Amino acid sequence: MSFLPLVNLWKVRSILVFFAIINIKLRFKGMKLGIVWTALEPTLTFVFLYIVFTSITKGPQENYGIYLLTGIILYNIFARGTSGGLSSIRSNVNIIESININKEFFPVTAVLATSILMVVQIGVFFGLMPFFQFIPVWTIIFLPVVLLLLIILILGISYILCILHVYFRDIQVIWSILIQALFFITPIIWYIDDIKDTGLGNILLAIHSINPIGQLTELTHNIVVFNTIPTLVEWTYVSIFCIGIFLFGFLIFNKYQSKIMEEL
Amino acid sequence: MDEIAIKLENVTKSFTFKSENLESRLFNIFSQSQKTKIMALDNITLDIKKGEVIAIIGRNGSGKTTLLRTIAGIYTPDSGNIVIDGTIAPLLHIGTGFHEELNSKENILMSGLLMGIKKDKILQKTDDIIEYAELEKFTGMKLKHYSTGMRARLAFSLALQMNPDIFLVDEILAVGDRKFQEKSFNSFVSFKEKNKTILLVTHNLGPQLEIADRVVLMDKGKIILVGDIDQVLKKYYEEYQD
Repeated sequence: MSFLPLVNLWKVRSILVFFAIINIKLRFKGMKLGIVWTALEPTLTFVFLYIVFTSITKGPQENYGIYLLTGIILYNIFARGTSGGLSSIRSNVNIIESININKEFFPVTAVLATSILMVVQIGVFFGLMPFFQFIPVWTIIFLPVVLLLLIILILGISYILCILHVYFRDIQVIWSILIQALFFITPIIWYIDDIKDTGLGNILLAIHSINPIGQLTELTHNIVVFNTIPTLVEWTYVSIFCIGIFLFGFLIFNKYQSKIMEEL
Repeated sequence: MDEIAIKLENVTKSFTFKSENLESRLFNIFSQSQKTKIMALDNITLDIKKGEVIAIIGRNGSGKTTLLRTIAGIYTPDSGNIVIDGTIAPLLHIGTGFHEELNSKENILMSGLLMGIKKDKILQKTDDIIEYAELEKFTGMKLKHYSTGMRARLAFSLALQMNPDIFLVDEILAVGDRKFQEKSFNSFVSFKEKNKTILLVTHNLGPQLEIADRVVLMDKGKIILVGDIDQVLKKYYEEYQD
């Protein structure tokens, strides 16, 4: 057994992909539209918020549509990804009860499924751009880096959540509330420049500086909407954040994974 | 000298349960609830030889299933040593990790992969598995429409085809119909002839028990007696039958 994340799963990587696909199938079981919801959900959220915010603010900023869409897509991947990771252990109880299996398999499968669905959502992102006559510039080549960091972050948080969920079922409700709060403390509907130097805005900025998903969203806005390349310091800061949470999450997971069986 | 397949040395496993009722949860949300400790396995020492068939009997809650799960590696013992020589197929559960929304072929693939078998090998054996389980007519059906007996047949057939060295069976055959029970009994006999080890938890004390070389009687997490069938059954009927 290695004390590093993912190393133990390398041998079973082909099974991981197979299970991720099953995981996706099961997520949409019995639904008429199935996987189409992956595309439809962020699109509808976007349309709704776009109509509301362009009608209440006078003269929205240039490219507000793309700005909003970027945030919603990232947020949606994060929200769906972490809640999939959260239930990954408990929803596989009957497998864990009958076979001696490396339990890291389950959160990793869930996040792999999230990564596959992410491709659909990024497709939506590019698919909607023509509606705003928006043509991305070359800085968008950094998008895969942001998405990789996002997945690392989701996996790190999933490691912690799935363990917590075993001991403390309430976390499911708590997490869905936190996810809702996250929507408002992340620069999705608002601009960072707008809140600077206002009383409450400073508090929000302080929160934003330690909110990894907020930092990732800001980076993405820079490379997609504002055509700027984040500085090396900014990249390093966000990377340390995401990778730090990932390693910490695995540490927690590894400490408890052999004990969870008795709690299930 | 006979080779040892499973060696258990002073294996102990306890569970701690929180006793909960609604009233105490409402008024003491943050205080520690009362905990009860149960010794599920209390200092178990047992050597099982290769090719041996061991039946474990005992009342409900005597630790039989915990013993199988600990040998399978699903539970980690609190103390003691377990040494296992060979591959294990655990049949501890009706529908070993099966998924309700998938059909039998998908479930065979999924379960087989989880047991660590190569995909090609599973695909190659899928038809045999379905045939042995007598489920040819139901391959396209989702597992949620299967009866308990059908699931048990599928699980047993799958484990059989995987050809493990050690078989851990927990009461699973009790749910199959008589014809299938006879068939699986015969499979056990042929397994035994191939020098495979079988560990069987059972409540069926009838003629099927005769396949066992030795019978282990458990109570309250302890091994009370290990011996031949007549000897152990006598003790069981005298002292432990409800």
